Amino acid sequence: MTRLWTAIALAVAAAALSGCGGRASAAKPTAAPHCSSAARAGWQRLANRIQAPVYCPAWLPDPLTGVIGSRDNNIDAVSKDRSYLESWVWQETGAGAAGGELHVNLRAYPGVTAVPRCRNADTNQSIPCFADARGTKRFGSIVATLYTVNQDADQWHAAYGWRYRGSFYTLSEHVAPPLTYAKVVRYLDRELRSLELINPS
Amino acid sequence: MKLTRRQALAGAAAGALGASGVYELVDRLARSSPRRPAAGALPPEQHILDGLRVITDNGVEVTVPPLHHQVVTAKVAADGADLRDAQRALENALARLEAKYTPTPAGLGVTVAWGLPYFERFVPEQWRSHAPFDRRAQEPALLPTRAFPSDPPETTLERNDVAILLRSDSLAHVEDGAKTIDALAVFHVTSIRKGFVGGGLPQKMARAASVPGADLIPDGAELFLGFTSTQSQGLGPRKIANLETLGYADLGPASYFREGTHMHVSHIAEDLEAWYLNFDFQLRVDTAFRPHLRVPEGTQTVRQAPQDVASPASVERDFHRARTIGHSAAIQTSSRLQADHLAEDGTLYRKGTAVPHRADFNTLDNPFFWPVDPAAQPQAGVHFVVFNPTSDDFHRNRLAMDGVLPDGTRLPFQPRQRGQGFNDVLRTTHRQNFLVPPRRHRAFPLAEL
Repeated sequence: MTRLWTAIALAVAAAALSGCGGRASAAKPTAAPHCSSAARAGWQRLANRIQAPVYCPAWLPDPLTGVIGSRDNNIDAVSKDRSYLESWVWQETGAGAAGGELHVNLRAYPGVTAVPRCRNADTNQSIPCFADARGTKRFGSIVATLYTVNQDADQWHAAYGWRYRGSFYTLSEHVAPPLTYAKVVRYLDRELRSLELINPS
Repeated sequence: MKLTRRQALAGAAAGALGASGVYELVDRLARSSPRRPAAGALPPEQHILDGLRVITDNGVEVTVPPLHHQVVTAKVAADGADLRDAQRALENALARLEAKYTPTPAGLGVTVAWGLPYFERFVPEQWRSHAPFDRRAQEPALLPTRAFPSDPPETTLERNDVAILLRSDSLAHVEDGAKTIDALAVFHVTSIRKGFVGGGLPQKMARAASVPGADLIPDGAELFLGFTSTQSQGLGPRKIANLETLGYADLGPASYFREGTHMHVSHIAEDLEAWYLNFDFQLRVDTAFRPHLRVPEGTQTVRQAPQDVASPASVERDFHRARTIGHSAAIQTSSRLQADHLAEDGTLYRKGTAVPHRADFNTLDNPFFWPVDPAAQPQAGVHFVVFNPTSDDFHRNRLAMDGVLPDGTRLPFQPRQRGQGFNDVLRTTHRQNFLVPPRRHRAFPLAEL
């Protein structure tokens, strides 16, 4: 069995960072647990850079760290429109249950509340980046919509999307062995509950 | 309701015919067995199941199949010299079952179908004289089993002697039927395949068996993939799938197989997560039915009336516009009559009428209930059972599903390309063609000659 830290090159990620304009809604942040000091520093820098609140995860499935700049942080990308994609991935190769992958994305589209648009790779048509909404859940003050058909770096992920202070935020996780869809949703629930809001300083 | 691994899988081979495994839950999860209309006299056809109820869903008439289905495949255990005895024993057993249970969903429907290996090995001379011949295809009506372009290389083309289809709303009736036939000791069972049909059951059963993606199946769906497939107008009228009805088959001088038909059996695994995580609702409609078909979000039952039927030209046009084909639309180019057809018994079948009789059912087998692969987890799938007049007629339908249309058009798909819609998430593991004799010759056909 070989354990590999992979840096999955998701070339589409940068293109997926852009979004459309929209109106703000007024949700308050959850009563946040604490993300680690190692993680907090990076998220604070990101909040300052984009001049918008960000969410630092206090919990991701082991061994993902949620630390920007760590070895598992395979994508750390900020676009000109201030939207960002932070991605953590872990992959283990091996036969059957020995293999597996964990992949979590956190995104934000500052100043945009509409679901962003992506390009269908087969038809080049404009389609929602997050679709097939399957209801909403409340996590403290966050009311998140669960999306099951998602695009680009979030393809084959289950994703939560919510709005805060005029921006659209998403948290998604890859449905891949060893996780099933049901397990991913349970993980996402825990991850979303663990988010700590960090404002620009 | 969760099952342990031990509960989810069947027991040993000896008990598998009478075991129900995960399928015991069907009776608990189904609200109740649907009320069924009474049946008339026994039809001469084995494949016709009377007493089916028709309901209306979303303004569309939907036929309600039996709750429980089972297919048992086998090799003949008797040698050639014993064939007449085996024939009498099997016919007596089937007659006893008919006396005990009406051949309806409320009772028990039994269909005995025979594979080419049986005819070629046990009754080769008689087969040469009486084998029906497909005039349209200029080939025998029962062809060797073949693979199709979207089949994976590992698809097993089976060579069973016989397949027995049992259908009922009662699991006990199915198990009694299977055990009654097995007790004759005229067959070596090669596989047991079980499953269920019923609105809402796929999600409940998949959840109970912890199938990946179970939570993504819509509430109330008839199939794992979220849509209804038994629209009455999508199923062939009573006698249309008979060998003789549309005139496709030359039955020979004695018409031995008149009122018989052809049956294809395959097992298809379905990747629910791939379907529900990669295809949004509109894309699922596009690929299940036809591109750009507009139905309200969440619709499960879509009208499949003769006036909705696609033509090869419309499928080709859709493909060039949307780079995808709809499963139903593509198959309709072959499975629906392309013109009015006057049958040999004087019945006029209108353009757009469906030809196949469907008898497919949802399954959690992986791939079979028995033999069991101890390492295999329950898996969403379908045991696809369909009656067509001939092998070639089935082959035309199945090729159309892969973009090979009956007018010769070949849509330029790569195997398992996303534009093939359903094919992207389906994986056929096994398939075989069978001939279904009429009821009067259902037991070891031709052995008496």
